Amino acid sequence: MLLSKSEGKEFLLMGNQAIARGALEAGVSVAAGYPGTPSSEIIENLAAVAPDADLYVEWSVNEKVSLEVAAAGSFAGLRSLCVMKQNGVNVASDFLLHLVLSGTRGGMVLIPCDDPGAISSVNEGESRYFARLMEIPLLEPGDFQEAKDMTKWAFELSEEISNVVMLRSVTRLSHASGNVKLGELNRAKPSAKFNFSGNLLDAKTGPVITAPVPFRHTQQQAKLKKAIDLFERSPFNRYEGPENPELLIITSSACYLYSREALRVLDAEKRAGILKLGTTWPLPPELLKKHLAAADKILIVEEVLPFLEENIKILAMENIDSIGKIKFFGKNNGTIPSVNEMNPDHVIKAVSSILNIPYTGMPEEYEKSGQILSFTKSPNRELTFCPGCPHRASYWSINRALTLNGKNGFVCGDIGCYTMAILPAGFGTIKTAHSMGSGTGVASGFGKLKSFGLNQPVVSVCGDSTFFHAGMPALVNAVHNGSDMLLVILDNSGTAMTGFQPHPGIPSDAAGNKLPSVDIESVCRSIGAKTFTTDPFNISETEKKVLDIIENETGARVLIMRQGCALSPEKKGKKKYNVSVDSNICKGTDCGCNRLCTRVFRCPGLVWNSSTGKAVIDEIICAGCGVCADICPSGAIKRSEVMS
Amino acid sequence: MIDPFNIIITGVGGQGNVLAARMLGNTLTKAGYYVTIGETFGASQRGGSVMSHLRVSKESSWSPQIPKGKAHLIIALEPIESLRVLAAYGNRDVKVVSNTRPIYPVGVICGDLAYPSLPDLNTAVAQLCDDARFINATEEAVALGHPILSNVIMVGAAAGLGLLPIDDESFKSVISENVPESKIDINMKAYRKGKEMAVDPVKF
Amino acid sequence: MQVKGSKEIRAGVLDSGLCTGCGACVSLCPYYATHKGKTVMHFSCTRDEGRCHAHCPRAEVNLDMLSSVIFGEEYSAEPFGSYISIYTARAGDKAGLSSFQTAGTVSALMKFSMEKGYIDSAVLTKNDNGFGVPVIVNDPSGIEKASGSRYSVSPSVKGVNEAINSGRKKIGTVSTPCQTLAIAQMRGNPVKQENFIDPIALSVGLFCTWALRASDFTDLLKSMGDVSTIRKLDIPPPPSSVMEIETGNKSYIIPLEEIRKLVPEACSYCHDMTAEFADISVGVFEGRNKQNIAIIRTERGRKIFDEAVNAGYLIREEISSKDIAPLAAASINKKKKGLAKLADAELVNSEGKDAVIRIKKSTLESIFKGGALCC
Repeated sequence: MLLSKSEGKEFLLMGNQAIARGALEAGVSVAAGYPGTPSSEIIENLAAVAPDADLYVEWSVNEKVSLEVAAAGSFAGLRSLCVMKQNGVNVASDFLLHLVLSGTRGGMVLIPCDDPGAISSVNEGESRYFARLMEIPLLEPGDFQEAKDMTKWAFELSEEISNVVMLRSVTRLSHASGNVKLGELNRAKPSAKFNFSGNLLDAKTGPVITAPVPFRHTQQQAKLKKAIDLFERSPFNRYEGPENPELLIITSSACYLYSREALRVLDAEKRAGILKLGTTWPLPPELLKKHLAAADKILIVEEVLPFLEENIKILAMENIDSIGKIKFFGKNNGTIPSVNEMNPDHVIKAVSSILNIPYTGMPEEYEKSGQILSFTKSPNRELTFCPGCPHRASYWSINRALTLNGKNGFVCGDIGCYTMAILPAGFGTIKTAHSMGSGTGVASGFGKLKSFGLNQPVVSVCGDSTFFHAGMPALVNAVHNGSDMLLVILDNSGTAMTGFQPHPGIPSDAAGNKLPSVDIESVCRSIGAKTFTTDPFNISETEKKVLDIIENETGARVLIMRQGCALSPEKKGKKKYNVSVDSNICKGTDCGCNRLCTRVFRCPGLVWNSSTGKAVIDEIICAGCGVCADICPSGAIKRSEVMS
Repeated sequence: MIDPFNIIITGVGGQGNVLAARMLGNTLTKAGYYVTIGETFGASQRGGSVMSHLRVSKESSWSPQIPKGKAHLIIALEPIESLRVLAAYGNRDVKVVSNTRPIYPVGVICGDLAYPSLPDLNTAVAQLCDDARFINATEEAVALGHPILSNVIMVGAAAGLGLLPIDDESFKSVISENVPESKIDINMKAYRKGKEMAVDPVKF
Repeated sequence: MQVKGSKEIRAGVLDSGLCTGCGACVSLCPYYATHKGKTVMHFSCTRDEGRCHAHCPRAEVNLDMLSSVIFGEEYSAEPFGSYISIYTARAGDKAGLSSFQTAGTVSALMKFSMEKGYIDSAVLTKNDNGFGVPVIVNDPSGIEKASGSRYSVSPSVKGVNEAINSGRKKIGTVSTPCQTLAIAQMRGNPVKQENFIDPIALSVGLFCTWALRASDFTDLLKSMGDVSTIRKLDIPPPPSSVMEIETGNKSYIIPLEEIRKLVPEACSYCHDMTAEFADISVGVFEGRNKQNIAIIRTERGRKIFDEAVNAGYLIREEISSKDIAPLAAASINKKKKGLAKLADAELVNSEGKDAVIRIKKSTLESIFKGGALCC
């Protein structure tokens, strides 16, 4: 589909596929990113066609490096793309600040995919403010067709103004699908050359640098002015509605679809209009002035922060003489919720209250009985580690070792599947959880608080991909500053959470080609941390090692718990053990067990049979890791190795 | 057909919800409709509920989220998920077609929560909508040779309700693009079986 | 006796500084564990009723009920609890002990009991890298290796649970008063075990004034050198007021003041100096380091003790009431202090909440009234 030559034909494409197609139609040559929901499929789709489409596609070590890699492509005259989830922009922002000053050559597009409502995130970060902060153009596609078309246009815009362009997607575009009419693929393979011998001040031929800053900054702002001119005429900004609407909705992104739906549902299309903006920074002032002047009531619909709202209000204030008095509705006055994702209901509610149009989504009585019935008859699906997941075993041992030690030791975590140890899935073992690699940095700090009386053992956990991403500097910091902490690297050989993208520890690239891998253990040793390894499936040895390292070693030390993810291609569907429960031995709820396996260990492969009062193995779900045989206090769980 | 026609496909991570939505969506696109699919699958690998919203329209594309209480058809690949979706998007007139095979939440597996019996669930669902049909899709899929066919049966069952503008040919052309040639027949068999089952659901 | 569960143990014992670390709740289930003398709880258990609570010497101990199970009479307010007779005792030549720190009475008793088949195993406490850990001895020759004073808290009852788990039916135990009380709780409160047969064939109790927090004491010992080379660990009788430690080729003298800082809070609630629920209690005879005092409490204790004397494993002598007066005074003093502290914390005969001790009101009053606080 991605390389289909059926120009003009319509397909059902996921937003991320549409973006990838748009990049291909633009003739992108270099694409780099770091995995993160909802952005990952863009790079994945491009990686899948990389050999056929002559692309270089890379999963970089982190977002900052991915932006640098993509920038190199641009500096060499190629069109390049960089993709990340919302919080990745924070990571990349230091380079971004400098990149926008030096400018770019080949068209370069930065695509952050925001996750309003934190559906697959541990934050509700906004990337749009970075566009304003960095003084670069911001584009927001309003549907799937635009996701493709605007991506393509973003490259052209970038080349026109010689700077990077941000195109922001959101979960409900990236992870949604709609009709997309394909355009022509650009199959030319440009040649790359980095020119640097021109004049120091010549952005096209000289060295790519930020100095002299006032000169470059002036240039940069001129580029932004040029973008405004283009935005005034852009077809991606459209107005739909009556000439003088009672209510003007100004919106962008997926919120455009919600807004349009709200007016249709309320049959208010004749009373209200929608100004749908595709170019949301810098705002096209003439266009806005025209529409602001035509309405007295303005509703701004966006997610997450009141970005449009603030910028439009400034613009309105600056032009109050021509626009006149208007009343704003939006996040600031509470018409639109200021957290969580938007949906048609929020917009319907806002419009129905402003225009006084009655609407009932769901009768109150129906809603009430629905809630009761679903609460009582539809048992909650708590998130848990997969059957055979090494994290469950790892946390079992870490938790037990900290309990045995008895000194209120705790674990600082970060982002990955293993964050779920804040839940019963991981026995509530994690006590702090923030950004990528932050558990180790936080632990590095905790480990220096002894002189203030903090005598609790300090442990951090970090995945293998996260270790390379941001854990390494934190470990260097801990070693160098003599922090007393233990970093446990939960090495499951892949970026499991986002779908097994390779990372520097894996000997292959995004397209599956062989690459040299970087050995985590050697890295830790050379950093100077006393480094140990263990197989988390050997729970007694792992518990002993954690306890021993906590009690008998000092300084920053590392324990690598190495066991592949149960979903990894190497392991999926292959059982190491056949596992069964001897019901004659199983003690069930009796004193001496009280369902340790099903109640505490909680592997989905272990089923509590309440009628027999015994645990049983679900052969279909069980992944055959065999760990439960070691946790059973009565020896009732038996395992036998599967003959290969 | 009501325009837009709002379909929710619900189930549990790993059941192939996204694929089923894509199958149905592609079939409708081929039939000349605008289709928008919104997916919630962030928790899919970790046992969470998964849901796809399909908006089908002759006129234009609609938002990827169905407003509260406005679903027209709910396809539940897992029985209790139908109830969860009804509570948020249901109304008396919505049609529900649900698989009977449970996938137990970890709380149920572990013995902390209770899973309702099928008649019990049927009674609960009947309190929220007038036309709910349960079919033994997984059982039938196993009989046809592979449990994964249950999703095709469920899509067939949805088609069998006669609410959607899709015919066997357009479905066949979608299936042909997505499975090896040798598997087309068995998939079509499953699809037709689903159509039959929709008009002859489980009796309570 | 009201048996509750781990919720009460966690809140009322482990988290409130009452746990003696005796190990009574360990090795019964996967939830309790002991590490460096400290009892901890893994995860949580939701049972309302458990052996952890039934056996705990700090949870709902009904002294009168236990006394009637073991001695057939109500709990006595006497300084030494129920007993038949008191002697001095020491090992005889027939016991064949090579060396012993004090008088060797306990080792001789256990060795005799095992050789004669009164017990099929002995649960003793050995030194493991500075920590006392239980050891199950099945052979008379192994008894002597696990002898000698240790001072630090050790989870010896864990070993009793393990001996029962491995099917031992006639177990001999050597235990401090709190451990002895736990063993009595186990014998007196068999939870949901129909046809319960007491697996303890001989319970030998040790006099105890206090124990030491194991990890802190081990740290102190480690600071003096290799703990495996410690040859002697002793507190000479008053007025010396020191602990003597001999390690390698060095010897240390530490003021008891320093040592007392390592006594866990749990010991301050203790009301039992002489292991009142044992068959035989044995302890130092102050001022006579080659003799023990032995309190014979039960008929089966008396039988084994007499036989051991007749067989030359033990040498016994009568003891005058003047000679036991200091022990009696110390014992009553401890009983008063411990019970008073528990009562202050509303943990004696508590209404509407868990008690540590339940005891007939009149008995309690006579304990508080009787004998002067001395020493």
